Amino acid sequence: MADPFSFQLRHVSKRFVKGKETITIFDGLDLDIPAGDFVAIMGPSGSGKTTLLNLLGGIDHVTSGEILFDGRRVDTLSENQLSAWRAANVGFIFQFYNLMPVLTAAQNVELPLLLTKLGRKERRTNVATALELVGLSDRASHYPREMSGGQQQRVAIARAIVSDPQVLLCDEPTGDLDRTTADEVLGILQLLNREHGKTIVVVTHDPEVARYTKRTLHLNKGVFVERTALA
Amino acid sequence: MSTLVSQVTAIAAMNIKSIPQRLWMSLSTVVAIALVVAVLLAFLAMGNGFRQAQASAGAADIAILLRDGAQTEINSAVTREQADLVEEGPGIAREDGRALVSAELYVIVDGVSRSSHLRANLPLRGLPLAGVDLRHNVRIASGRMFRPGTAEIVVGRSVTREFEGFDLGKTLRLGQSVWTIVGVFEDGGTVRESELWGDVGVVQSVFKRQNFFQTIRVRLQSAASLPALKAYVDNDPRLKLVVETEAEYFAEQAKQSGDLIQKLGWPLAIIMAIGALAGALNTMYSSVASRSTEIATLRAIGFGRIPTFAGTLAEALALAALGGVVGVIAATLLFQGYTASTLSANFTQVVFTFKVTPALCVSALVLALVVGVIGGIFPALRAARQPIVGMLGEQ
Amino acid sequence: MNQALLVAKNLSRRKLRTLLMLVAIFIAFFLYGALECFDHAFHASETAAAADRLVTVNRINFTMPLPINYADRVRQVAGVKDVTYQSWFGGYYQDPKVPLFMFAVEPASYLAVYPAIQMAPEQRKAWLSNHTALAVGKKTAAQYNWKVGDRIPIKSNIYSRKDGAAAWEFDIAAIFSDPDETARENLVLMRFDNFNEAVTFGRDQVNMLVFSTSSNKLNDSVAKAVDALFANSEAETTTDTAAAFNRAFAAQLGNIALIVTLVVATAFAAILMIVGNTLVMSVRERTREIGVLKTLGFRGSTILSQILAESLLLAILGALLGLLVAAGAVAVVGRNIAGFGDTMRMTSGIFVGGLGWAVLLGLVTGAIPAWSAMRLQIAVALGRK
Repeated sequence: MADPFSFQLRHVSKRFVKGKETITIFDGLDLDIPAGDFVAIMGPSGSGKTTLLNLLGGIDHVTSGEILFDGRRVDTLSENQLSAWRAANVGFIFQFYNLMPVLTAAQNVELPLLLTKLGRKERRTNVATALELVGLSDRASHYPREMSGGQQQRVAIARAIVSDPQVLLCDEPTGDLDRTTADEVLGILQLLNREHGKTIVVVTHDPEVARYTKRTLHLNKGVFVERTALA
Repeated sequence: MSTLVSQVTAIAAMNIKSIPQRLWMSLSTVVAIALVVAVLLAFLAMGNGFRQAQASAGAADIAILLRDGAQTEINSAVTREQADLVEEGPGIAREDGRALVSAELYVIVDGVSRSSHLRANLPLRGLPLAGVDLRHNVRIASGRMFRPGTAEIVVGRSVTREFEGFDLGKTLRLGQSVWTIVGVFEDGGTVRESELWGDVGVVQSVFKRQNFFQTIRVRLQSAASLPALKAYVDNDPRLKLVVETEAEYFAEQAKQSGDLIQKLGWPLAIIMAIGALAGALNTMYSSVASRSTEIATLRAIGFGRIPTFAGTLAEALALAALGGVVGVIAATLLFQGYTASTLSANFTQVVFTFKVTPALCVSALVLALVVGVIGGIFPALRAARQPIVGMLGEQ
Repeated sequence: MNQALLVAKNLSRRKLRTLLMLVAIFIAFFLYGALECFDHAFHASETAAAADRLVTVNRINFTMPLPINYADRVRQVAGVKDVTYQSWFGGYYQDPKVPLFMFAVEPASYLAVYPAIQMAPEQRKAWLSNHTALAVGKKTAAQYNWKVGDRIPIKSNIYSRKDGAAAWEFDIAAIFSDPDETARENLVLMRFDNFNEAVTFGRDQVNMLVFSTSSNKLNDSVAKAVDALFANSEAETTTDTAAAFNRAFAAQLGNIALIVTLVVATAFAAILMIVGNTLVMSVRERTREIGVLKTLGFRGSTILSQILAESLLLAILGALLGLLVAAGAVAVVGRNIAGFGDTMRMTSGIFVGGLGWAVLLGLVTGAIPAWSAMRLQIAVALGRK
C-alpha cells in the first residue's frame, strides 16, 4: 500500500560554517508533501528554496532532523544508496536544462535508462514515449545547440520522466524562458501531475507558476507560509 | 594606446601576467620543452666532448705517416727500412744533427672498466723517448717517465681513472712479461690520456714485432714544410705511405665519430620536440579559450588584431624560452664534465667528458623557441580572429 | 547508446585537444618502440649466440694473434666437440670507409661449428675445393648485388699481398643463409689457406678459435681447461662463451641500454605532465555535467570508471599508433642498414610491454581527475559555473 505522503520533513535543520560564522538556513523545519501534490515554493533570494529542493533530492544532507520518503527515512542512506534511490524515484529539472552537449536529444533522454537493466530495444521505446509526451519526437536526433531554450527544457523534462519516477523536483524551470514557452513547459508539468499522478515540487520566482500548481508555499528565512491556490 | 608597440607590449604583459591562472598547464609545457632541450644538449655535449678529445690532440707541426690505405694507426704497418728512409726526408726538424722522428707501435691490450666491470680495449703505444717529446702538452702528473730498455710504462690520467688496476706502482702482466707502472701523465683531456706508453723496443720484443712499426711521427721544421716531405715520400716507390699533419689526422678521426652522435641527437630531439609542440599548442589554445571574454573586451575597447596576435605569441615564446633556459641549466648541471668512454676508430677506448659550450646552448635554445613560435602562431591567429560579439560576459 | 559511447563522446568533445594529446602520446610510444628495438638489436648477438659455443682469444686482447696450431691442441681437450678458427681480414669493397664483415676461415670446420648455416650442396663443394672461393651471406650479397660465379676484387686495410697486388681477387662460390642467427648473413668468408699464403705478415696466426662443447654444463670447466693448457706460454688465452664475449664487446661502445632508458623515461615524463594536466582541465570543464549525472543516479564509482576509461582509451590508442609506426620504421631501417639483420624488428615483448606502459599511463593520468570527479559533491557541482 503506497504511503499517502511522498515526503515528510521532521524538525529538519540545515546549518553550515563559512569561515568563522555559522549560517543557519533551516532550524527545525517541518513539511509534508502528499503523494500527487503539485507545490510551488517561492521566496526571496537566500530564503533556502534551492537548499530545500536539494535536501528533498538527497543532493544535500541535513544537519539534524529526518526526511522520510514513502514513510522510510532517506537522510540516513549512504551515497550509493542515495544514487540508486534517486535513479528510481526522482527526476530533476534545472533552470539551465543541463543537457550533455555531446549527445543528441534521444541520447540525453536515454541516460537514466543506462542505470536500469533494460535492453536496448526497451530503452529506445521508453525514450520515444517520453519524447512524444513532451512533443519533441521529431527532434530526437538533434543536438542541444540546434534547439531553442524551450525545446531543450522539454528534452530535460523527457529525461526526468523516462524512468517513470514518482517525484519531479524542479529548480526554476522557467527562469530562462519567455512567457509563451514557460507556459508550455508548465502545461506539461501540470499534465504529468494530473494524468500521471507525479508529485512535483517547483522552486521558482515566477508568480505565474501559482496558476498551475495545487498550492504555493512561501519560504522566508527558513520558515513557511502557506497560501492555498485559487481554483 | 596610440602606437602599435605600446599596444603589443601592454597585451603581451597582460598575457604573461595571467599565466599563473593556468599554472599547471603552462608548467607542463615548460617542463616538456625543458626536457627536450636537456636531451638534445646532452647528446650535443657528448658528441662535442668525444670530438674534442680527439681533435684537440693534433699538432700542426707534427706529421704522421701511415701505410697507404690504412685509415687508422691500428691498421697501419711500417717497416724499419721505411722508417730509416723517412728519416732522410726534407722538412724534418733536427736537433744535434739527429732527425726528430719517432717510429711507433700501437697494440691493444685489455683493461677492465671500473663502471661496467667488463673487458675493454686499451691502446699500448710503444715509442722512443723522442716520441714523447713530440707531444707538446704532455706532463708527468705523478711518478716519472719510463726508462728506455725496461718494462716500465706510463699511463694517461684517464686510464687510471676509468679502468681498474692501472694505479701508480701497480704491475701489469702481458704475455710472459711483467710491466710496472711508473708514472701517470696528463695531456689536457685529449685522447692521449687514454693510452699506455712503453719503450718501443721492449714492446716490439714482447709482442714479437721486431723491426715492425705502425706509424712514424715527425717534427716538421714548420707547418709549411709538409708539402716537401709529402713529395719526397710520394716519389719513392718503397714508401707507400700517407703523410698528413697530426692535426689533420685527428680532425678526420674526430669528425667521423662526433658526427655520428650528433646525427643521433638531432633527430631524436626533433621527434621529442613534436611531442612538446603538441603540449604547447594545447596549452596555448586553452589559454586563448579561457581568456576569450578578456580578449573580446580588449577588442571592444579598441585594441587591434595585431596586438592580440602578438600578445598570445609572446606568451607562447615566454613559456618556451623559460623551458629552454631551464633545460640548458639542468643539462649543464647534470652533464657538464661527465666522463664516459666509447670505442674509437682505432678500436680502443677513448675517454672523454661531455662538453657543453655556449654555441651548443644556443642551438638548443633555438629549438625551444621554434617550438614556441609554432605552438603560439596558430592559437594567436585564433585569438586575433575571434569575433567580439557573443563573447562578452558569457561563458 | 551505452556507457562506452559516452566515454568516446567525451573524448570527441574538443577534437583538437584530443588530437593533440594523441600526438603527444604517439610520439612517446614511437620513441619507446624505436629505441627499445634498437637496443634489442644491439644486444641481440648476446642472446642469439648458441649456448654451447665458446670463443678463445689472446689473453692480452682479442686483436692479438694466436698460433694456428692452438686449434689442434684445443681439439684434444675433453668436452670439446668441433673447433674452427678465424681471422679478421679488414676488407672493403670499393669504399675504404665501409668495412665488410669479412673473415678468413677454414671452411669445413667452420661449417661444423655453425651447423645452422645453409648452403646449396654444389656451392658448398665449390667453396671447399676452390682456392680463391668466397662464401657470402645472403644479406651482403643482396646489398652489393653479387651472384654465384662473380669475380670480385676486395682490398684489405690491414694486410698486403706478397705479390704486391693491391686487391685480392675472389670467386663467389656460395651464398648462404643462417635462419638461427640472421646476423651471420652479413658475413663474407674467404679461405684461410688463400689468406695465409698471400700475406706479407701474420702467417700461421689466427684471431680467435671458436668451438662447440658436447654439453652446456661443461662450458665452464672446458673453458678453464683450455686456458690452463696455454697458461705460461707465449700466447696465453682467455676463453668465454660467445654470448659473454659479444656482451663485453657491445659494452665497449657504451651503456646503450642506459641511454635508451633515460631518453624514453624523459619522453614519458613529459607526456605524463601534458596529458595529465589536460585531462584535469577537461574534467573540470564538465563539473556541472558530472553533477547532473549524479543527480540522475550515477554513482561516484561509475563516474570514476568512466573517466579512467577515457584516459585509458586515449593512452592505448596513442600507444598502438606509436608502436605500429615504430615497427614500420624499424623494419625499414633494418632492411637498409647492414649489420643488424633480422634483429632490427619489433618484438612481441616490446609491443606488449609498450601496451602495458600505456595502461599504466592511462591510469596515472586519469587518476586525479577521476578521483576528484568521484568525490565531487552534487550541490557544489551544480552551483559551480
